[in-house]
Amino acid sequence: MQEILVANNLRKSFKLSAKQRKLEKTDVAVKEAVKDLSFTAYKGEIFGLLGPNGAGKTTTLRMLATLIKPDSGDALIEGKSILADCNDVRRRIGFLTSELKLEDFFTPDYLFDFFGSLYGVDKTELSNRKRTLFSRFGIDRFAEVKFGNLSTGMKQKVSLVVSIVHDPELVIFDEPTNGLDVITAKVVTDFLEELRRDGKTIILSTHIFSLVEKLCDRVGIIIDGRMIKLDTLENLTRDANLEETFFAIYNEVTGGRL
Amino acid sequence: MKNVLTIIKKEFNRFFKDRRMVITVLLPGLLIYALYSLMGTAMSDLGKVDEDYKPTVCVVNLPEMLSEPFGAAFELTEGTAEECKTKVEEGALDTLVVFPENFTAELAEGRTPEVKVYYNSAKDNSYFAFSMVSGMLDAVNKTAFTVNSSQDKFDLANEKDMTAQITSMLVPMLMFALLSSACMAVAPESIAGEKERGTMATMLITPVNRVEIALGKIISLTCFAMLSGISSFLGVMFSLPKLMGGVITAETAALYSVGDWFMVLAVIISVVLVIISAFAVLSAYAKSVKEAGSIITPLMMVIILLGMVSMFFSSVPPLGLYAVPLLGSGLAMSSIMSFTITPAAIILSVLSNLVTAALLVVLLGFMFKSEKIMFKK
Ligand SMILES: Nc1ncnc2c1ncn2[C@@H]1O[C@H](COP(=O)(O)OP(=O)(O)OP(=O)(O)O)[C@@H](O)[C@H]1O
Ligand SMILES: [Mg+2]
Repeated sequence: MQEILVANNLRKSFKLSAKQRKLEKTDVAVKEAVKDLSFTAYKGEIFGLLGPNGAGKTTTLRMLATLIKPDSGDALIEGKSILADCNDVRRRIGFLTSELKLEDFFTPDYLFDFFGSLYGVDKTELSNRKRTLFSRFGIDRFAEVKFGNLSTGMKQKVSLVVSIVHDPELVIFDEPTNGLDVITAKVVTDFLEELRRDGKTIILSTHIFSLVEKLCDRVGIIIDGRMIKLDTLENLTRDANLEETFFAIYNEVTGGRL
Repeated sequence: MKNVLTIIKKEFNRFFKDRRMVITVLLPGLLIYALYSLMGTAMSDLGKVDEDYKPTVCVVNLPEMLSEPFGAAFELTEGTAEECKTKVEEGALDTLVVFPENFTAELAEGRTPEVKVYYNSAKDNSYFAFSMVSGMLDAVNKTAFTVNSSQDKFDLANEKDMTAQITSMLVPMLMFALLSSACMAVAPESIAGEKERGTMATMLITPVNRVEIALGKIISLTCFAMLSGISSFLGVMFSLPKLMGGVITAETAALYSVGDWFMVLAVIISVVLVIISAFAVLSAYAKSVKEAGSIITPLMMVIILLGMVSMFFSSVPPLGLYAVPLLGSGLAMSSIMSFTITPAAIILSVLSNLVTAALLVVLLGFMFKSEKIMFKK
């Protein structure tokens, strides 16, 4: 199996401002969001990061996508370091998370071309990709509607399509079905399976068990910034369903406190 | 470089296809024009009476010697002194002139008879009539000598010198104020706004060099600010003749050569580059458009003050001062307008601005790289 992503001992902490400390009811000035996290993702698989709110999933993905730098540790994406070769990494990944917004003023058509140009995608290839992706997601009818006027679901679809405008090897999706109805969510999950068939690698973060059971080949369970368990879905669901397995692990780690 | 163009194209699309944006940038110029013109017209209308107006005057005991000129200048009416005073008060009559009964005799004897002229200064027409009457009465006594009654140019001030002096003080100050408010209108929205709305982050995960993003932004914003600055400048220039009542006329522009105007333009562009870059850096640091506005305001005050510095130099300032960014540009603009600019001074002032702007663009690029700055909550 070919390694696409190797994350080694990633750590990230945030300094909390006085205001944040008050909000989170804590006296510690530093929040350790990710603690010594390591994992590997292989070509052509869907890797799920499963964890409760605040576990550190988004922080991990933001580090992989070079938006923020780890305090220590590194990750290699197709051999390129997220610290030393960040532009090489950026070319190889597509990142979708709620933090990344598109300008309300522009149409999906314009946005697709704009980002395609920034990624240096060839003109004819860009228009081919636009045609197939837009019709695949039903964006074609809304191609000339300003992004700000689209429905939440359509916005999410456009964001998704724009995030993979450059046909990346590694797709990193942070809670891709959040806020979507079952029909739109199915369009997205079907598409992820299609990407896997095309040999792309997908890293997916979620707290939804059914999504993991439906899609993922391997699963990493993150609790409080640590990778508690990393195994194939098959092994994790051998004796019980994923939810039961998760709670068993969760209780073990937290001592039963919820 | 291709990425810089892509970003510039996007910024232009964003700007010119949004009617609201274009209006916010062009409106100040129109407003300035409308406002100044209105003020100018109102001011010159004050106390102005139609020149052909023939005041209605009631004269008591009109002496023989004055009957001809009075008859020509005024619409004369009859009436008693008491009646006429009330009419003047009400505005029905412009003035009442009362001569003493033996006016001519008193004059001949060398005494100074009193002529009473009743008028109502609240009525423009009445005040006008009063000044006409007193002017005519003055003329009666002026036979010994005259002042400036021949057709000659007595005011010896050189028109070019005076206009040049006024414009050389006014233009730097005005331009600095107009340009910095133009930059204020576009920079926070485009930099802090994109950061606040999360659209900057989307650009930051692309492999585009951050300095290229910064450069694309700065070049576009400079164009928009120039547009706004030029619009306000034209607004001022077109309304000044009305406001200043002829001190600065449409011919002022013709005093300067095309070369002079090109130098001014070069200085202005370099000034906008510096101001926009500085405002962009502060906007990138701010968390929101609102915060950007409040951080930039003090700097804006300083910049406006810099534009006034040239007023304090009565002679040509030392060359070294031209190399100070912005300050030097104010001096350079002033020197161009007063015909005292040297090639070294203009080159120094433009170059120092370009270097400053370039450094600020690189700084902005580094800020875009910093997660502490781009993603602080
Ligand atoms: N910029 C920041 N400053 C301070 N604390 C932060 C920052 N970003 C994240 N955190 C904290 O780090 C922890 C992990 O956050 P993260 O967003 O990675 O969690 P998550 O697993 O994605 O949770 P969710 O399922 O709610 O999205 C949280 O406690 C969060 O409050
Ligand atoms: Mg999250």
